[in-house]
Amino acid sequence: MKSKKLLKRNEFYVAVTIFLLSLIIQLRSGQFFTANNFVDLARAMIIPGMLTMGVMMEIISGGIDVSFPAISMLSMYATLELLLKMEYEGSVALAFLIAVLIGLCLGLINGALICLLKLPAFIITLGTSSIYLGFMQAVLKSHTSSLLPGPVSRMVKSFLLTVTNQELGISSSLPSVFVFLIIIVAFTAFLLKYTMLGRGIYALGGDPVAAERAGFHVNGIRLFVYGFMGALAGFVGITRTILVGSCQPNSLIGYEMTCIAAVVLGGTRISGGHGTVAGSLLGALLLTMVSNSLILMGIPTYWSKFVTGILIIVGTGVSAYQALRRQRQLAVGVLEDQGLSENGGLM
Amino acid sequence: MKKKWITWLILGCMTVSLWGCGSKQEEQQTAESSPAAEEAAEETTEAAPAESSDYKIATVVKESSDPWFIRMEEGVNRFADETGVNAFQKGPSKTDAAQQVQVIEELVAQDIDAICVVPIDPAACESVLKKAMDKGIVVITHEATTQQNCDFNIEAFDNVGYGAYMMDELAKAMGEEGQYVCMVSYLTNAAHKEWSDAAIARQKEMYPNMELIPEEKIETEDSMEVAYERVKEILKKYPDIKGFLGTASNDPPGAGKAIDEMGLTGKVFAAGTSVTSVAAPYLESGSVATATCWDPADAGYAMNVLAKMILDGKRDEIQTGLDLGVPGFESISVTDGKYINGEGWIAITKDNMSDYNF
Repeated sequence: MKSKKLLKRNEFYVAVTIFLLSLIIQLRSGQFFTANNFVDLARAMIIPGMLTMGVMMEIISGGIDVSFPAISMLSMYATLELLLKMEYEGSVALAFLIAVLIGLCLGLINGALICLLKLPAFIITLGTSSIYLGFMQAVLKSHTSSLLPGPVSRMVKSFLLTVTNQELGISSSLPSVFVFLIIIVAFTAFLLKYTMLGRGIYALGGDPVAAERAGFHVNGIRLFVYGFMGALAGFVGITRTILVGSCQPNSLIGYEMTCIAAVVLGGTRISGGHGTVAGSLLGALLLTMVSNSLILMGIPTYWSKFVTGILIIVGTGVSAYQALRRQRQLAVGVLEDQGLSENGGLM
Repeated sequence: MKKKWITWLILGCMTVSLWGCGSKQEEQQTAESSPAAEEAAEETTEAAPAESSDYKIATVVKESSDPWFIRMEEGVNRFADETGVNAFQKGPSKTDAAQQVQVIEELVAQDIDAICVVPIDPAACESVLKKAMDKGIVVITHEATTQQNCDFNIEAFDNVGYGAYMMDELAKAMGEEGQYVCMVSYLTNAAHKEWSDAAIARQKEMYPNMELIPEEKIETEDSMEVAYERVKEILKKYPDIKGFLGTASNDPPGAGKAIDEMGLTGKVFAAGTSVTSVAAPYLESGSVATATCWDPADAGYAMNVLAKMILDGKRDEIQTGLDLGVPGFESISVTDGKYINGEGWIAITKDNMSDYNF
């Protein structure tokens, strides 16, 4: 019974795809199942892993967001400029705190506009994304710089562990900020599963009217979801700077699509109401593996876009097909229950 | 009921957007009506007029606060100091083609002898530059190889020469042997393609002990993070690789970060296009052997030299082989009578990076 349930789960198919892909990479390069490659993969998962948590929450609630890269970069840039001007030398925690607060405000603006105007979140966030980016470019005159505030730049060289591949003579280090990924994932999982607010997010995505009638404060939940994404984006902005080691105010542009794709790939229903933390993480892992292994697989640069597209379609296709089959079974089941299947059939 | 709500909403949106336009227009009007002289005093450093020459030459850049153009202004000011010409630099407050055209319009309306422009959008500048030329103003452009309405367009270098130069720098770091790969922002980027093709051609011609890996060129999407990830991947697949040639300014630092973190500093090298403001930490560590680019101060200086020569009636002397008296422009080449190339590339290394602070 339990194995049958597993077969129905979308995460299972994403996991199988990941396993097959890793076998292919291993066969082609012999460099997948090595300690340093796993460390590299873990490092590459930090940013997409964090961001997909927020995006998943928004999509479960029936919304979407394309403005978080802009929020992330604006809060990062403003924070770093401020700390540089202050010649701040204290704890790095303040950098995170300021960025989170700025991100929270910008996210709440998104949430408030969505609640007030009742327009699709996509349109609202498309607009605010442009405003936030424009503000950063015009008012703050953003530019790339390798000059970072002292505490942030010290954090760049802070690692949890270093593994060395004796055969190749190369080593890989896992940055300390990896810890934050674990904390954020654990927090999101707890919130969605064990709190009333989390259940409210699912209810809102499933049916807003029903959620309201059931006593959920619908607008409050929306504000929370977009505020959370904003705060998370601010946090990611600083994390990204620590990972890259320089302040790159345009570096996340276009990243929203990767994150949304990862969440959908992981089985979160784009119409809302359904999705899991594990699925989204697996989706993010699959996309990260694809983009970071094309060279290892020996795909020529000219073909990389083509292959990436194919892998995304195959990956989503498998889970979409599963969902479709489930729906059909469900529809048949419902009709049978009502004794209508013989006259009505499938619509 | 619902329809009414939507109507109001659309009306509201329109009002807001119109209000937005209005305020922008207002802003532009104030910019127009404000006396240009006042602005010039604010944004530029005018040289003390000297009796030898009373030319007035303006240099218009893409954006005033960009470190690149702040550096260019140093060149313009040096020209003013050395020649006594009233030369100054102006630019829009943000990189906006329309605003730049307006800055040029204002200058043309003034009593000015020559104008040097680094156009944001060369096509958008054609009509205003034509107006300037009709008025007898000398027009020099830079970074605009397609400009029609100009007396001369000057480039720091031609793409083939620059690609070969980058390869020379990489070969020097690698000891002229070992595997290497080129990095481009996108395979479709014309300049990066020409540079990397020229670099590969140079290697085939001059460095037989170097070998291009089958990947040839990797795409880094103009992002340091992507460059870093790709270089790590290449290093896993080709453990013997020794060199990375970057064409986008984020490529050498991205490669440098990967080299440093993987403990390969001193064994693997990156070289190519970058600037101090991005590459400094990796020039310091040695993983980026050389960052190549051109010096905007010299380009600004050279534009002004050309303008003064034409004003002095020495237009005929501007021929291939002429020395403009500026580093990198000691022997210019002229094609089609008005397109000038120098050899103005520079190599930024650990030792001289404090001289090139842009």
